[in-house]
Amino acid sequence: MATPDGTTIIGESILISGSLNGDEDLTVRGRVEGTLTLTRTLVVEPTGTVKAEVQVKNCVIAGVVVGNVTASESVEITKEGRMVGDISAPRVIIVDGASFRGRIDMGEVDVERAERGSRPALRAAPRPALRPAAKAEPRKAEEKTPAKPSMPPAPVAMGAVKRKVIVKRK
Amino acid sequence: MAAMEKVSTPRSGAHTVIGSSIVIDGEISGDEDLVIQGTVKGKIDLKESLYVESSGVIEADIETANVEVSGQVTGNIAASDKVELKADCKVVGDIRAPRILIADGATFKGNVDMDVKGGK
Repeated sequence: MATPDGTTIIGESILISGSLNGDEDLTVRGRVEGTLTLTRTLVVEPTGTVKAEVQVKNCVIAGVVVGNVTASESVEITKEGRMVGDISAPRVIIVDGASFRGRIDMGEVDVERAERGSRPALRAAPRPALRPAAKAEPRKAEEKTPAKPSMPPAPVAMGAVKRKVIVKRK
Repeated sequence: MAAMEKVSTPRSGAHTVIGSSIVIDGEISGDEDLVIQGTVKGKIDLKESLYVESSGVIEADIETANVEVSGQVTGNIAASDKVELKADCKVVGDIRAPRILIADGATFKGNVDMDVKGGK
């Protein structure tokens, strides 16, 4: 996890518009507009604003994000975080106090099995099943269609999706 | 949250660092010091100092108060105060600033305009 190259910090008064790519952690305290692609963690601090198509491994939102976020591991919206846009990630954490508007797609949620009524089995299965799949598969799928996360088809799916959204209460 | 604590460094004023693996294609503007270890293409517009470290590569027009180059810059540099080309830097482009320092070992190709007032 420790980056030998150090981490990148975008200071409060800085505006970057365009595309930003990198292989290290990025902390945004200023503004970034355009596209943002990282192979590591993006942290948007409370003073930070990101208006971009974001593709990262992990994303922690304590500031403002407007745009779609695709993460290969997790997206966390903290209590100060505000976000408008779609999230596509195997793990999505929305803390009490966070504000969010948009879709969430956790990829490998097995809707078909849920529909067939094997609910008790699903309740036990999804976590371990999701983890290994999350490493390899969603990544590939996301690269092909980064901006269009596929939505589970019907309201039936919402039960399955919702269970994965971890809402921490204080 | 754990990730956040790990990433956060002590806030030494307003300070921006673009790390060595970062590539930015577009425009950067701001009112604070900027340290570049990575790659920036496009345009840089600052009111403070720009430091291009030895791993930094810039293909952009630069407008700032101060510039210190230890890495590579391709593009025109306009500084309201000072431009310093350190040893081992490579700069291609025109430089306009009241004070320009070129160290021994620096590589530079382009025009220099020190904007000498009153022809002195």
